[in-house]
Amino acid sequence: MLSLSQIEKIYRTDTVETLALNNISLEVAKGEFLSIMGPSGCGKSTLLNIMGLLDEPTSGQITIENQVIHGYSDKALSQFRNEKIGFIFQSYHLINDLPVLDNVELPLLYRKVSSKERRKLATEALEKVGLSNRMKHYPTQLSGGQKQRVAIARAIVGRPDLILADEPTGNLDSAMGHEIMEILEQLNTADRTTIVMVTHDEGMAKRTHRLVRLFDGALVSSNQFYTA
Amino acid sequence: MFTHILKLIWKKKKSNFLMMLEIFVSFLILFAVWSLSIYTYRNYVKPSGLKAENVWAVYINFNTQNDTIRGEYRELVRRHLSNIKEVAHFSFSSGNLPFSFSSSNRDFEYEGKNTLSDYINVEPSYAPTLGIEMLAGRWFTYEDTIGKIDPIVITRRMAENLFGNKEEAVGKVVGLEDNQQKVVGVVDYFRHKSSFQADENCVFAPLGNWESDMLVKVAPDATPEFEAGLARSMQQLGKDWTVEIQHLDDMRRTQDKTIWVPILILFIVCGFLVFNVGLGLFGILFQNINRRKGEIGLRRALGASKSQIWTYFVGETLVIAGFGVFLGLFFAVQLPLLDALNVESAVYGWAMLLAVLSILVMAIGCAFYPSRQAAAIYPATALHEE
Repeated sequence: MLSLSQIEKIYRTDTVETLALNNISLEVAKGEFLSIMGPSGCGKSTLLNIMGLLDEPTSGQITIENQVIHGYSDKALSQFRNEKIGFIFQSYHLINDLPVLDNVELPLLYRKVSSKERRKLATEALEKVGLSNRMKHYPTQLSGGQKQRVAIARAIVGRPDLILADEPTGNLDSAMGHEIMEILEQLNTADRTTIVMVTHDEGMAKRTHRLVRLFDGALVSSNQFYTA
Repeated sequence: MFTHILKLIWKKKKSNFLMMLEIFVSFLILFAVWSLSIYTYRNYVKPSGLKAENVWAVYINFNTQNDTIRGEYRELVRRHLSNIKEVAHFSFSSGNLPFSFSSSNRDFEYEGKNTLSDYINVEPSYAPTLGIEMLAGRWFTYEDTIGKIDPIVITRRMAENLFGNKEEAVGKVVGLEDNQQKVVGVVDYFRHKSSFQADENCVFAPLGNWESDMLVKVAPDATPEFEAGLARSMQQLGKDWTVEIQHLDDMRRTQDKTIWVPILILFIVCGFLVFNVGLGLFGILFQNINRRKGEIGLRRALGASKSQIWTYFVGETLVIAGFGVFLGLFFAVQLPLLDALNVESAVYGWAMLLAVLSILVMAIGCAFYPSRQAAAIYPATALHEE
């Protein structure tokens, strides 16, 4: 599904050069639920951004669904991201000025989908995360857990093959965190959606198929808990 | 996408209201300036109906109040000018010579219909002096003035206003019983106040006894020495006479300047105002984009390309501008509907179109750079900042 080969990411300023990712190679199988752990600043989010084509590696190769991501135009890369990848962020990244339903519709705005179809797909996604009764609410009227469920609905509305979740339970209490994990597990098992999740929570990580650990930008260990 | 933009604008209506108001005021200012400019331009390209080249306005002060003596003096001038080969035509006229700062008007009545018109007393030679061409009928002669009813020549506009479009104006008698005048000819245009004068009513009537101003058409090769000599020779015709000669072309330029200079000033003031509005808009958009970096990063992550981000922000600005313009159009369209200023509807139509285009150009111009900056935001960085 997703393959990273010898990925290196260096941030350069006029005086300083920082190695954020050092020679990372990683394979994520289709339908796998992978978690990434590591201390703050070890490069977890950078790795996730590179997987999500939001950032470019300094060197190395990314392959998603057997397509080597190289030399794509901005338009093609955006389209690829739109169709293949769903994002979930720790701080939800919802647009507070739009109702829940419109927030969920957002990825479909960049596809050739009629407004009727958009409504239908967004409603289905919200039903999946159990928020069909909050469609007309604004994000500011929701709890943290509900906001994250809206973000999940937005991530799955375009039916992507890969979901990248950056600490999706990081801002939630444990009960809410469990709820979110259950939804992600459900998506992974029922729809066979590949999920890569960055987390600080060992307990959450153990619920995934595999855990990889990063330290100072390098992959230091990999634990297989289950098989996808 | 349009509905999506509308929803966001509506949600931020308070902050967008000021921008909309600015656009609305700018639109009204632009509409007024374009209306004035188009109105003036349309007048400018209309035929003037007179040829001012080589025509001099001669102001003579006979220094007498006696009408009989003034008549004799005028005859003396006529004889003198007739003997000068460089003088092609000449005509005495009332003081409201073309492009002078003097005007005279009078109310005319025909079958209960009244209309106000410029009124000029002239001689039969006035038409050849100014190269006036007839549209219908003829210019009056001295013989016409012997009768009980005075002859007049009117402009086409006057004929339309008094008799309607279809009726033949020549032969019609206007005015009340004790002061009737008969139309003997119609001229197409006579725009004698400036190059920017509208097509207005004008009536030419025979000369009275007291007029001493005149127009003299000279040969194209008349020199300044000839002009000085002519003034001197005319002055020497009588005791204590004063003679002043001005060129009609120069008089027209002076009159034109009184029209286009205020318009130019208005343009500069308007340009400055619109520039300020543009700057404000530019600042608001920049601030807006800085505030919405997270949203931009999110949109990029969800699949918006750089060009879609650019289009989105320009589109959002255009929709806000559209509201201001729509409100402005509502007020602007009242002018032609109510026929408030007696100006052709086409002038307002063009002015509205140009004002809309000006606002669009301004909005796109102001949104272009901030939107490009927004499009250039790196999604990973923007999401991290949020």
